[in-house]
Amino acid sequence: MKILIKVNKVDVASYDIVNPPYLHSGLTKNELMLKTFLMMLVIAFTSVIIMGLTAFIHLIIAMGVVLLVYGLIHSYQIWRGIKPTYESPASPLVTGMIVGLAMPIASPFEVTAGVALLTILVFKYGQGKYFSRKYLNPAATAKVLLLFVLSIMFIFENPLNLGMIFHTHHLSLNLFTAEGFQNSMWIFERESILGIDLSATLSLFFWQTHGWIGGACGVLVLIIGSIAAYWLKFKWRIIVSTIITMTILAVSTGLITGGDPILRIAFHVFTGSVIFMIFFMATEPQSTPMPERSQYIFGIVLAVLTFILQLFNVLGGSIIALVLLNLLTPYLDRIGIKTPYGVKKTKRGE
Amino acid sequence: MIFDNKSKIYFKEKGGFKVDISMKMSAVDDAFKEVPPADKMIVFLRQHIGAETKPLLKEGASVSYGQKIGDDESGGLLIVPVHSPVDGTIDKISKMLHPISKKEESVVIINTKTENKASYLTPLDPKQSSREDLLKRIREAGIVGLGGAAFPTRAKLSSNNISTLIINAKESDPNVACDIRLIIEEPKEILNGIKLMAKILGVGKIIFATRTKEGEIAEFENILKNNSIEIARIRPNYSVGSERLLVKEILNKEVSPQKYPPDIGVVVHNVATAYAVSKAIHGGEPLVSRGLTFFSKDTGAQNLWVRMGTPIHHILRHVGVSPDAFERIALGSLMMGPTIPNSSFPILKATSGITAFTKNEINPYENSLPCIRCAYCNTVCPVNIYPQLIMEAEKRGDANRLRKLHVDICIECGLCSYVCPSRINFTNYLTGGKKRIRNNNK
Repeated sequence: MKILIKVNKVDVASYDIVNPPYLHSGLTKNELMLKTFLMMLVIAFTSVIIMGLTAFIHLIIAMGVVLLVYGLIHSYQIWRGIKPTYESPASPLVTGMIVGLAMPIASPFEVTAGVALLTILVFKYGQGKYFSRKYLNPAATAKVLLLFVLSIMFIFENPLNLGMIFHTHHLSLNLFTAEGFQNSMWIFERESILGIDLSATLSLFFWQTHGWIGGACGVLVLIIGSIAAYWLKFKWRIIVSTIITMTILAVSTGLITGGDPILRIAFHVFTGSVIFMIFFMATEPQSTPMPERSQYIFGIVLAVLTFILQLFNVLGGSIIALVLLNLLTPYLDRIGIKTPYGVKKTKRGE
Repeated sequence: MIFDNKSKIYFKEKGGFKVDISMKMSAVDDAFKEVPPADKMIVFLRQHIGAETKPLLKEGASVSYGQKIGDDESGGLLIVPVHSPVDGTIDKISKMLHPISKKEESVVIINTKTENKASYLTPLDPKQSSREDLLKRIREAGIVGLGGAAFPTRAKLSSNNISTLIINAKESDPNVACDIRLIIEEPKEILNGIKLMAKILGVGKIIFATRTKEGEIAEFENILKNNSIEIARIRPNYSVGSERLLVKEILNKEVSPQKYPPDIGVVVHNVATAYAVSKAIHGGEPLVSRGLTFFSKDTGAQNLWVRMGTPIHHILRHVGVSPDAFERIALGSLMMGPTIPNSSFPILKATSGITAFTKNEINPYENSLPCIRCAYCNTVCPVNIYPQLIMEAEKRGDANRLRKLHVDICIECGLCSYVCPSRINFTNYLTGGKKRIRNNNK
């Protein structure tokens, strides 16, 4: 905006009026997204090594679908002279990667494609356009929605072949007793690296060949996620409070039921659906609270809900918990406000 | 060279964010160069926080260097007189857009005759002068806080029951180095000013707040130590330069929003104000000139000694650049300085810097993206408010929510905008929110 005022001298230069500041840190949204993508790339690479070609195909499908939709919408927006929603493919790329890493390896490829399509079209573009911001985590909501629809297929004889992404036998597991919990761990005990059999605990920590693709190596997700959270300043309070609460609940349950508390931690915290969700989905900025205290509350409640749903063998419990918590975010934004500088002392009359 | 490893120096903010201060450090070794007055000086009749002064002379009248040209004795403590920066004649008394208030305010345009700098007021002997005499001189010399706020110095020094005087030499702006340069060039004058302020306030405890490391300004530090002045080395941080935050940092006391540091027994003065107080009392010099740092990417940083009322185009030409070479000019620093519409705008008492941007330096906030709610803004906020939530409330026009979010506490430091990955200029919403609740309270 140029404001010209009357001046006597003809050689006076006119300038733009802009409000301060004029300096920026340089870390832009694109850079943030690309760095997040790079961090997840390390996890994806490891998952492909552990889970094989199938994991790679899932990732390619998820990212391919998302990028295809982005490309079409971006081209349409440019063609119609509309300001593009995303100035580069960085953000959709992260979305595609999250969808891929959040899919169970046993999922049929068409289900992965479906989740990716729903995520980018309905819950990323659609939510942003019609609600001006994303209240729900796009990938989690798309998965929950699809899970709900696909769950109806349990009435069929072989639901997995029809597209149901979770095994019905999960419903028969009893995690409330030490024996039931131990018996449920057989699937992890089959894991082996280079012919060496791994215990369920070690498998859960390092080498899971089923479950979420992104959680193939739980410890790696913990390390890469922690580096990313520090480097890119994720909402780390959510991560810390969720992990601590989950760990406390796991240990307590282990102690109360008489089972192995370490195996409890390995299962409840390090299964792919939980550890990946905590670092890369529960910290999704738009659908999570801003105030610091609210982030702690969000993390604690998320952990408790996830844990309860896990105990009851609810399929996709962690993402259902996440979507429920997303719905509470506008409320949490109001309750966790910190006392600003100087205000507390006024209230006390000092 | 005063400092080593200048290119590696950063201010570290809350949440681990960094502000590069290599621009500032490059200016530290640059001695003040005096800018001669322009042919026409444009002097605003209000250069302080408070009401406008009234012109004391008419168009056509002759004025001397340091002669009072604007005052209003009926205005109370918050009126500070304005003086002529040159010998000359009053060409015109007119109206001009004030760079801070953004409203039309009175200016006196003076045709310069000579560059005389003879003292207009008689020097005072502090030993023979009462507190009232000293306070009166500070007022008559037109002294205001030179750190940027331009609060009348006499009003601050009139406070009673003060236990601590803090001299703020923290100088937080990332591209301004005039305070540190003043310390290097005028250590004794600054010490005299500090002693005078302490005498007026009757304080026993004086704290010199600096960001320099021990031994970096050895001569001055020795002077301070020999005069029992405590040195507080403040962590390298941009926002702690703010008066209220400095009090918290040094004394661990918070000043409530409705109060000021004197209410808790503390007075904070900028180091350049101490210098001005000394010059006014010992030298009889009104506040008509000051040191500032000119910065542009092409020229780098330069410290200049400039008279208030000097038009920007005159300063730019003096440092060898054309006013037309720039797209934007800010009176002040990269973080807080308001921009001016054209190069005829003059230097004010509170102008500690001129920052000039060429046509190639686009405004980083020009094409902002939708907020991603990353919470960087509230993480970095030094006063613990929520710029993003305030932005949402301000967009809705929700004054009640703005009040609950304490928008009034914002110090407009610009850090929330600085860290925003979507490059949203939150400062616009924060100032808008403050204005909204002010209007709502009326």
